[in-house]
Amino acid sequence: MGNIAMALERELAAYEANLETLKAQEGKFVLIKGDDVIDVFTSYEDAIKEGYQKFGLEPFLVRQIRALEQVHFITRFIEPRPVEATA
Amino acid sequence: MLNAMVVVSAPRQAWLTQAKQPTPAAVKIRALVDTGASGTCIDPAVMAQLGLTPTNVAPMLTPTTGATPVLVEQFDVGLVIPGSSAKHAPLAFPTIPVMASALFAAQGFHALIGRDILRHCILNYNGDFGYFSLGY
Repeated sequence: MGNIAMALERELAAYEANLETLKAQEGKFVLIKGDDVIDVFTSYEDAIKEGYQKFGLEPFLVRQIRALEQVHFITRFIEPRPVEATA
Repeated sequence: MLNAMVVVSAPRQAWLTQAKQPTPAAVKIRALVDTGASGTCIDPAVMAQLGLTPTNVAPMLTPTTGATPVLVEQFDVGLVIPGSSAKHAPLAFPTIPVMASALFAAQGFHALIGRDILRHCILNYNGDFGYFSLGY
């Protein structure tokens, strides 16, 4: 992820640091708060639900575990809003 | 093009209700069905109206990014596409991840409905008559 200053930076760093271990559960959804991996869930909705229940409106990360990160392709002429712009 | 409504995700709404905080009103949008979009994208202004903060980031490639993916914010939202009449149930996603991308309003829409949603539907495009139908 580089050294981009952005929201969820600590959580993304924690994801990268734990990816080797998390790979065993590829396809599932991990919930991360700060530097801590909280839990892994079968569904996106369950992970989000646990995130709000534990942390309310504080920042938390929910990310699908993938050995190779999936890039989204959009063929339409649009302007993605880079995360740096909102840090 | 279709009408849709974006709301806070079901888990966020549940937390807001439990915390006795107001739930932001649904935002009505115009959305473009786009088989060329791997994921659903919504204008950041919609997320701002709902008071959302990102819960992930995702790499995205578009004609404006060149060959290097750009990291964009991803939000958990609820999305409702009304049925064609009152008799038909809406297509509702209580909690889905969507990506923030701008410049939609200038093109007459606020969102791209991508294949992450279309994979739950049957899309028929009738070019002769100039219409499409979305079955679910």
